[in-house]
Amino acid sequence: MDMTLETEPTKLPLHNEHLQKGARMGDFGGWLVPLFYTSIMEEHAAVRNKAGVFDISHMGEFLIEGRGALDYLEKNLPRRIAPLQFGQAIYMPLVNDLGGMVDDIIVYRMNEQKFLIIVNASNIEKDFEWFNARVTQGVTLTDRSGAMGLLALQGPLSQTILLECFGAFYKDLRRFHYKDFEGGIIARTGYTGEDGYEIMVPKDKLKPVWDVLFRVGAKHGLLPIGFGARDTLRLEAAMPLYGHELTDEITPLEADLEWAIDLSKDKFPGSTILKKQKATGILKKRVGFEMTERGIPRQGFEIQKDGKTIGTVTSGSFIPTTGKNIGMAYVPTAVAKTGNTIHVMVRGKPVKAVLVSLPFYKRKG
Amino acid sequence: MDFPENLRYTKTHEWIAVQGAKAKVGVTQYAQGEISDVVFVDLPKQGQIVQQAKMAAVVESVKAAFDIYAPVSGKITDVNKALESNPGLINQSPYTDGWIFELEFSNPAELNALMTAAQYQEVVRQTPKH
Repeated sequence: MDMTLETEPTKLPLHNEHLQKGARMGDFGGWLVPLFYTSIMEEHAAVRNKAGVFDISHMGEFLIEGRGALDYLEKNLPRRIAPLQFGQAIYMPLVNDLGGMVDDIIVYRMNEQKFLIIVNASNIEKDFEWFNARVTQGVTLTDRSGAMGLLALQGPLSQTILLECFGAFYKDLRRFHYKDFEGGIIARTGYTGEDGYEIMVPKDKLKPVWDVLFRVGAKHGLLPIGFGARDTLRLEAAMPLYGHELTDEITPLEADLEWAIDLSKDKFPGSTILKKQKATGILKKRVGFEMTERGIPRQGFEIQKDGKTIGTVTSGSFIPTTGKNIGMAYVPTAVAKTGNTIHVMVRGKPVKAVLVSLPFYKRKG
Repeated sequence: MDFPENLRYTKTHEWIAVQGAKAKVGVTQYAQGEISDVVFVDLPKQGQIVQQAKMAAVVESVKAAFDIYAPVSGKITDVNKALESNPGLINQSPYTDGWIFELEFSNPAELNALMTAAQYQEVVRQTPKH
């Protein structure tokens, strides 16, 4: 068995708190993050059945403000921004001029001309450059990534815990809306397929928030959740991940994210190419599959149909709560039908799988 | 941590229990902890020829696959089928019910290169902690 050592990654603001909770730390895109505390199995189940807290302070935050802010975003983003209410958030891919995806982001409207954008940690520099290169008069772009921390509280009991911690003010918070909190925000968003919240605060407020969540949450079965379970949870909910399902070469249409762009919008980066692709049809498509023979699919494994290579696994894992081995992949549109049989090449051997509809998991109610 | 005296060890964290011309192989208690929850085991085939220090089986956690190397060369004579339905046996009892395969070794001299419990314990002690 090989065990390689990592290079020196960046520590999270709550590094010591993670160690205190027994975290096994590991590298995630240059960040030293908790992979799991007790086990991925237990943590995945906790979020599905009770609640869990994730430290996702590695993620990036940009502020875009000024009298030109709304026009600037309207021109550069693939969804309509003007209809957003103050305190509302919206998910979308960031699209490049060729129709590929620079990243996927959440845009929060703070007031008429002030917006917060949360981006993936691995893309902070690239995204900042992308926004900065398009800045026009009356637009101020600020990278707040170093100043802010982010915790996610996810799971069916997250509302109970949140209200007990921070009061009834947050009771009527609707999905994809936020309210101000301690120099930051609490938003009803997440990346697990469960109900939940993301809490963004200045870095020095992270520890008190972390502490009160666990003090109150303990009796509800709240657990700290590592990046291992974060990945199995989002995979089961079929949420795409940049660097896996989303890349600078894949279009939102191919990624099954047409719902997250607005092709009726007159113009945005890549819009001409995307409208054309919509008219002519996509050649490949993101699909989900479930292994029907023994084997765990992993990112990069080849997919075959009738002995011919037709695609690659973008994400794959054993899923703790169901015991199933599942994955996502890009395959030719002609093959991309639920019920079709494919083979995943696991260490040189073809292992049978069947295409299934996404998501693999949908919460009840 | 447990390092049974009657076993021999590899620096890649496999153990081997020799009995006559045959030997059982598994991963050490330290290794199972590093792997974390074992959710899948890819066993070798009966009769398969394996080479010393070459991959003979694969043990997978939720997030990663780990190659298991043959401590000595030989022919696979038995595999632990129980791991197919209960891979967690490797975590629960790495030295007993969690054995992975049995082989008939082809070159007994290879056994001399393996470590004693005390030597292996020293290897683990010197491995940096997370």
